[in-house]
Amino acid sequence: MRRTSLAEVPSNLRVYLVRLAVLVAGLLVFAGASLAHAFGLLPTALTIAAQYFGVVAIVWGLNAFFFRTVALSWFTLPVFSAAVFGVLFLLGYFVQTVAGPFLIDSTGRFIGLVRLVDLIFYAFAVMTIAGAAGCAFSRNIIYSAWSLLFAFLGVAGLYVFLGADFPAVAQVLIYVGGILVLILFAIMLTKQIGEDPKLTNAHLALPMGAALAAVTVGTLAYMAVMAPWQLTPAPSYQPVSAALGTAFLTDFLLPFEVASVVLLAALVGAVIIARKEIKEHLDSVLE
Amino acid sequence: MTTSIGLPHFLIVGAALFALGMVTVVTRRNAVGILMGVELILNAANVNFIAFNHYVEGPGKITGQVFSIFVIVLAAAEAAIGLAIVLAIYQTFRTIDVQETNLLRE
Repeated sequence: MRRTSLAEVPSNLRVYLVRLAVLVAGLLVFAGASLAHAFGLLPTALTIAAQYFGVVAIVWGLNAFFFRTVALSWFTLPVFSAAVFGVLFLLGYFVQTVAGPFLIDSTGRFIGLVRLVDLIFYAFAVMTIAGAAGCAFSRNIIYSAWSLLFAFLGVAGLYVFLGADFPAVAQVLIYVGGILVLILFAIMLTKQIGEDPKLTNAHLALPMGAALAAVTVGTLAYMAVMAPWQLTPAPSYQPVSAALGTAFLTDFLLPFEVASVVLLAALVGAVIIARKEIKEHLDSVLE
Repeated sequence: MTTSIGLPHFLIVGAALFALGMVTVVTRRNAVGILMGVELILNAANVNFIAFNHYVEGPGKITGQVFSIFVIVLAAAEAAIGLAIVLAIYQTFRTIDVQETNLLRE
């Protein structure tokens, strides 16, 4: 006798079929909400809620086929879904506003990849984010430090892009020339974690950390795109070094002096904390 | 300058930097790695300061850049003190795994 009812098929297959049905339903909800929003039938908040529930269903359905070792609980399912939703939102935003201006003029004419300034920005942005990602996810701490170099240089490039010449030079001099060298010294002066030199940079709970990062990026990016910023009509690209010097010695004189005292205190404190002989002397005095 | 780059682009880069720095701080076991994450977070804040200075505050005003310079100064002080503390921890515990350094004295 052929099995006709869903209740009679083996339980494993039945689980798969249920997951598949939920997956298809989630896809339909997601696509339907997007289409309804595109035609103006659904307000934005409802669309986002419907899309989120669709993504939750998609993630739950896909879990039967991918990442099966990751058990989704009532807590991790919404968090992972929010992460996936954030990534989808970013993709949609980039396809709309980033790829769009590259390919089509404002009049709708195809112009190709001509905006060199945009390309330079994206090169710096990719350099920054790739460097930061290398710092966050590399398994070797030396590689992490060198990735940090690219992140710092990319940020300096973004400063130039924003017309901030002095902060850009300060970034290169202080971060790349000072802090990064300090970090490399600290790495070389301390023993690595564990015996395996390839695993000096171990992680704790990396999947949850990555989900947290995706949720943060999604939330902040949504806010950055949607918020009605009071933009200035004509941003300037004039040099600012002289104005910065004047500001430091007039409006910001007290913070400037306090900063120099803080630097001096940090210098003395670092020497006292790090030097062995001074510490032993202090210990003997205290005893 | 004809460009489609605006404030949201820089804010998104800053958000990505902040999130990656936060992941580094939260998940690393190496104390030096955690300090690297703190540097990433400070850089993200600086990108936002300078972007807002450029696109919102307007020409002739540089308060955002002044603030970013102060952030860089404090980041340098923080790196010096933090790495000195890491070295002191290493001299005491012979490791900089933050999972194992759970005492305030030897």
